[in-house]
Amino acid sequence: MSSPAITASASGIGRRHSVLQRLARDKVALAAAIVLMTIALAALFAPLIAPYDPYFTDLSKPMQAPDGEHWFGTDNTGRDIFSRVLYGSRNTLIMALAGVLTGGALGGALGIASAFYRRLDPWIMRLVDIMLAFPAILIGLSVAAIVGPGIESVIIALVVSTVPDVARVARGSAIGIMGQEFMEAGRAVGVSNAALIWRYLTLNCISTISVFLTLRFGQVILVGSALGFLGMGAQPPEAELGMMAAQGRDFLFMAPHIATIPSLVILLIVLAANLLGDAVRDVLDPRLQQ
Amino acid sequence: MKTLVRALGLALCLAASMAQGQTLNYMKALDAPHFDGHRTTWSPSSDVINLVQDTLVALDWDGKTALPLLAKSWSVSPDGKTYTFKLRDDVQFCSGKKFTSADVVYSFNRQREVKGPFTWRAGKLKELKAIDPYTVSYEMTEPYSDLLVQLTMFNNTIHNKESVDQLGKDYGIKGLDGTGPWCFVSWQPRTEVVLKRHDAYRWGPSMYTNPGPVKFERMSIKIVPEDSSRLAAMMGGRFDITPHFPTQFIDQAKKAPMLNVDQAKPNFQLMYFGFKIDRPMVSDPRVREAMSIGLNRAELTKAVMLGQADPAYTYIDPEALDFAPSTKGIIKEDVNRAKKLLDDAGWKPGPDGIRVKDGVKLAPIVYIPQVTYFPRMTEAIQGYMRKIGIDWKIVALDSTIMPAKLSGQDFDIWTVTVPYLSAGELMNFYFDSAQIPVPNRMNYKDAQTDEAIRLGRTALTDADRAKGYAAAQERVMKDHLWMPVMNVKMYQTSNKKIKGARAHMLYQYTYYKGLDIAP
Repeated sequence: MSSPAITASASGIGRRHSVLQRLARDKVALAAAIVLMTIALAALFAPLIAPYDPYFTDLSKPMQAPDGEHWFGTDNTGRDIFSRVLYGSRNTLIMALAGVLTGGALGGALGIASAFYRRLDPWIMRLVDIMLAFPAILIGLSVAAIVGPGIESVIIALVVSTVPDVARVARGSAIGIMGQEFMEAGRAVGVSNAALIWRYLTLNCISTISVFLTLRFGQVILVGSALGFLGMGAQPPEAELGMMAAQGRDFLFMAPHIATIPSLVILLIVLAANLLGDAVRDVLDPRLQQ
Repeated sequence: MKTLVRALGLALCLAASMAQGQTLNYMKALDAPHFDGHRTTWSPSSDVINLVQDTLVALDWDGKTALPLLAKSWSVSPDGKTYTFKLRDDVQFCSGKKFTSADVVYSFNRQREVKGPFTWRAGKLKELKAIDPYTVSYEMTEPYSDLLVQLTMFNNTIHNKESVDQLGKDYGIKGLDGTGPWCFVSWQPRTEVVLKRHDAYRWGPSMYTNPGPVKFERMSIKIVPEDSSRLAAMMGGRFDITPHFPTQFIDQAKKAPMLNVDQAKPNFQLMYFGFKIDRPMVSDPRVREAMSIGLNRAELTKAVMLGQADPAYTYIDPEALDFAPSTKGIIKEDVNRAKKLLDDAGWKPGPDGIRVKDGVKLAPIVYIPQVTYFPRMTEAIQGYMRKIGIDWKIVALDSTIMPAKLSGQDFDIWTVTVPYLSAGELMNFYFDSAQIPVPNRMNYKDAQTDEAIRLGRTALTDADRAKGYAAAQERVMKDHLWMPVMNVKMYQTSNKKIKGARAHMLYQYTYYKGLDIAP
């Protein structure tokens, strides 16, 4: 017997092509994808692209405005801002990806377990309610106070703040699937619970969760950068976009580029992620297609 | 003509009465935990305490000389252990109660009873006696050569027992009585302190031309933590005076047509990095010296502080009381010598440039406060350290958890800025082995240093005191227990509408009594 999920995946390649084609037809989505991809590649290959050591201080050149030598200028300790933006984007993207993927996996598992094991549902959902009551920034500050500031603390905060939202989305989607006939059929022919959860429920919920996580990505970058801005994230000499914006805040009047450039990069990433997320949702959500 | 004269007279009277009725709007960056000077070391408490309460003696503008305040004169016994203070007989508290010697005895005894963190500033007290209503005998177990200067500190103000008893646990929070030029009205934490003029005040120290009362009816002290908000508020004329104009914009303030900027001179305020010398990475004096001479302090203060600090090559400022000139050449910046010292100590450069010894990277943990100039200054120094192969692991801490973290032992280096009055103060407070583990966070125990400090502390003459403290300074500097970085400049910025504002250097706040400040 072939399960619905397996049947669906048999035509998966063709559908993926169709999704990509439809995304490519959306010019805004295409531009957003190109921007995100460019930033991601630049961050990935930062050690090859960066013209200077991002940690090298040169106090004879502090707060230099952008010019041919330093494209984005230098910060208050004479470090090259372009090189630091490349390394900083890398840390920011790693934080956001780790937060979204881990939070998505944990939240998805909780939501699906809640839908499948109905006795657990009230307990899991109350836990989710409690988690929803704490803003991500507060969680980040608490984690940093306990384990100390650092990228790890921010990732923990992002995971904890992502889990409840994803759990609710996954639960809603899974409850809908639980009412489908193929679930009853699976039970009737003696498919194990593990197989039902993975092959029938999880694989059918993944697209919904993915769309949600794509939309969530921009928010997570924003929260991660805010925590970096507050000093809870990367510690010196590491670069991170939120932290770089905070470092430039003291010099806004005399060297506005120090705070403005990393802030603009954050803006660009978040905007691109949100536009792409919207487009992906439009393409994948059958209700919107109708 | 008569009508004109009358009109002019009326206008003058109105102007005078308006001035009398005006509120002085003061702004600062940090709020206090409370205003009980016996229970705190926190400088944001000290400015309000100095406004509401008085000490026996006042600190002159030179930062060294004690002037009569509540005590009009004093004498010292030949053995240096007993001071006899003659008190003013015309002083009263805000509550109206008359000030007498009983209040002095009560205040110093209370400080001992509550085991205040700054009790040491009052010396090793044996007994306080009220000889008559206006004479106090102040007896110590050993001579204390710094006593008069230390008595100017906010922890040694005179309290009213009735107020302390009446308010109980709320003392210093909901109320505070004192003989100072201002009376406490209210405190809304993190927002505002309101004071009103002490109308009876006539006993201001001779360093001011106005003995009192102050020229404003009320004072509103607002807390504005954000640098750019304080900048905008002063530029916009929202406040009259602040000790906390952001230092990076002080040049703009000097050029602003509506502002006056006055620098506190002298001002003894050292930013340093301390080493926990029992931690393996910084236990070798050669490693500590390498860090200290691997910097360029002149470049740091110019680039990072924009000239708002002077490079510090000694622990004690050369203008401070009992500075030892012999310590001037101990720290000589030299990057090549720094590298050689690290080589000699067995720390060899690894493949990434960071030095390694026995498989361990030279990467000490550095605790810093996450406020003002500390992060950017430490990052700049981190850059210098990388150039000699040391990877400083900076941990920036919120000011609320910093004191707790600093009382632990799980870090190698830390930084703070310390305001002080004299060489003796720093030596006694930080380097005496009796002060381990806090504030002697270095865990430094050296019998010769202890003895030199004791000789300075118990000296009966100025020369002997200077000699003792000089010996102590030489020893602690040669052991490179601290890495002095800069003496931070301190400014008072006021609106040009305000007259007579002069910056004082006492304990990080410039206002002090502010008796000459007028509309």
